[in-house]
Amino acid sequence: MSPPGLRCPGCGSSNIVDDDLYCQSQLVCADCGSVVSEGLLASDPVGGSDVSYSRTTAVAKKPCTNQIKGLQRLKAICRTLRVHREIEDLSQTYYNQAYQHESFIKVSLQKKEVLAGCCVLVSCRLLNWPISMGTISCLLDADPMVVGVVYQAMIKVLNITAPIVNVTDVMEAHSQEYKISSSHVPEELAENSKDLTKRAVALVELAADSWIVTGRKPIPIMMAAVYLAWQSLKPTKQRLKLTLDKFCQMAKVNKHRPAMKRIAEMKEVLCKLGKEIPWVREAVTPDNVVQQVEDILQHRYALLRRALRTHEEALLEQEASSEAPTQISELSEKIPNSSSVEPCEPDAKMAEEPGDEDNNQCVMSEFHSDTQKNQDPTPNWGKRELFAPPCVIHAKKRRVEQPELRDVTGDEEISDSEIESYIRTPREARDFALTQKKLAKGEIEKS
Amino acid sequence: MDSSNDEALDIIVTNVVATFRTRCHLNLRTIALEGTNVIYKPEVGKVLMKLRKPMITASIWSSGKIICTGATSEDEAKLGARRLARCLQKLGFKVRFSAFKVVNVLAVCSMPFAVHLIDFTKNNRPIASYEPELHPAATYRIKNLKATIQVFSTGSLTVTGPNVQNVATAVEQVYPLLFECQKPLHK
Repeated sequence: MSPPGLRCPGCGSSNIVDDDLYCQSQLVCADCGSVVSEGLLASDPVGGSDVSYSRTTAVAKKPCTNQIKGLQRLKAICRTLRVHREIEDLSQTYYNQAYQHESFIKVSLQKKEVLAGCCVLVSCRLLNWPISMGTISCLLDADPMVVGVVYQAMIKVLNITAPIVNVTDVMEAHSQEYKISSSHVPEELAENSKDLTKRAVALVELAADSWIVTGRKPIPIMMAAVYLAWQSLKPTKQRLKLTLDKFCQMAKVNKHRPAMKRIAEMKEVLCKLGKEIPWVREAVTPDNVVQQVEDILQHRYALLRRALRTHEEALLEQEASSEAPTQISELSEKIPNSSSVEPCEPDAKMAEEPGDEDNNQCVMSEFHSDTQKNQDPTPNWGKRELFAPPCVIHAKKRRVEQPELRDVTGDEEISDSEIESYIRTPREARDFALTQKKLAKGEIEKS
Repeated sequence: MDSSNDEALDIIVTNVVATFRTRCHLNLRTIALEGTNVIYKPEVGKVLMKLRKPMITASIWSSGKIICTGATSEDEAKLGARRLARCLQKLGFKVRFSAFKVVNVLAVCSMPFAVHLIDFTKNNRPIASYEPELHPAATYRIKNLKATIQVFSTGSLTVTGPNVQNVATAVEQVYPLLFECQKPLHK
């Protein structure tokens, strides 16, 4: 019932009734029929409703365009590597998971592509399909360091523990890349890929036992192994003359510079073993060791044992022939001596280690020292052992500590004269300022 | 130093990084003009000053914040910092030596045995991580000490931590783990 006292503005009667028009409430005068007041036609909330338009009309959440493109790229990578179906599925799952995570959703498209490659890498590792990070970086045409960073971030985000890949496992996949079967190159230079792989794997295992593999990038080692294997399978003059450069050109692979050093190191190890072969009369040098490689690899364990025994006997002889008390000094690096210490060769791996660690990692070990000095056995194992990593054999000389700074407390007196040495006199300062101005003018006039 | 074996492990501190504040604005051009052993980097906005006696390099910003690197012990870092503050005082700034803090210590240590990194990583996941293609060392991070240890297969370690005591404790903690994964030096 309408509130009492309400009068119709048209005729003045107080006979006003509720006469709703469908959903709109209206107050109508019963005598003249005019509408006194009416309610809202529709009760929309102010400022739009709480549920947005897109939500009310959405069907199902679809991945964004870039994610779909990324998945396609991932599939392409998997097809190129010819991996199993399971690896492809697993990597797709990982990619979807990682893509949605906050640390990857806003990165650049290039990084998202690298992320796809890393997902493939991790799935291969988990399902026992050996590929190296180098292969992935080649496929993506990306910097290996960037791949590494993304890979480590992804592992943390997705909480995966992937097994580490052994070089010997990757060897087979790697040697497939070398196009030296008889269909690609002339007959004298061609090689069956199975034989090649087998010999290269044996060489890599030998290298792993003699400290060449530890801590180095795998691809140059594999390249060196394939090259030596190829040479030794048919050691003709033509093959021996062919340099690593030409070999890589022929096999259509990119040459890696560290591979030259690895070849030299491997040849050295092969020489050490080749010396022990009983039926070889002439001296074994890096030039003629390639012909012996087949025999060395066949009997490598026996030769290793012989070499180690010979080396031990030689060491015992040396120690027996030296005079009695030689100084045992704990801080052996402080002894100034005249023996030559070869500087540590800066190969590619060393360049990656932090600079100050490089200086002090290998405690100074004397090499080629004529005088018998008895040092701390621990830092000098590079000399005692037959096989040791090159960084230990050619250790860097550590800088000698200044003895006067031994007992520093931090709260000593600082004399004025010391500080004066660090400050220019006013005259020097004026001269310096003038020279700077002149130099600056000279440069402006030149340019 | 180490109770778990007869011979002490030689931990050599190679770098100590410390910061302090001078509580006053510093005019970098004055320092560059009147100080010797000074390199001015206007593009970055700092001055590098090198001291001779504790071999220290300091980065000086105009806000008065200074970072000292290159010392080989915490006390040496403090001495070098004070010397630097004194030098700036002499140049005419109203320097007050305050908020000295050692921020990072880098030390190097050598194990008497080689370490099999793959076994070490397998036994200590997820604290240890090893990617041979990226870096030749395995990284072991101790959260409560805030120390990071990089283990190389030759048995050398580099340790970084917030102070010398933490670094020593970190080496002690990691020694038994390395001992069980040791590799005999020849085959």
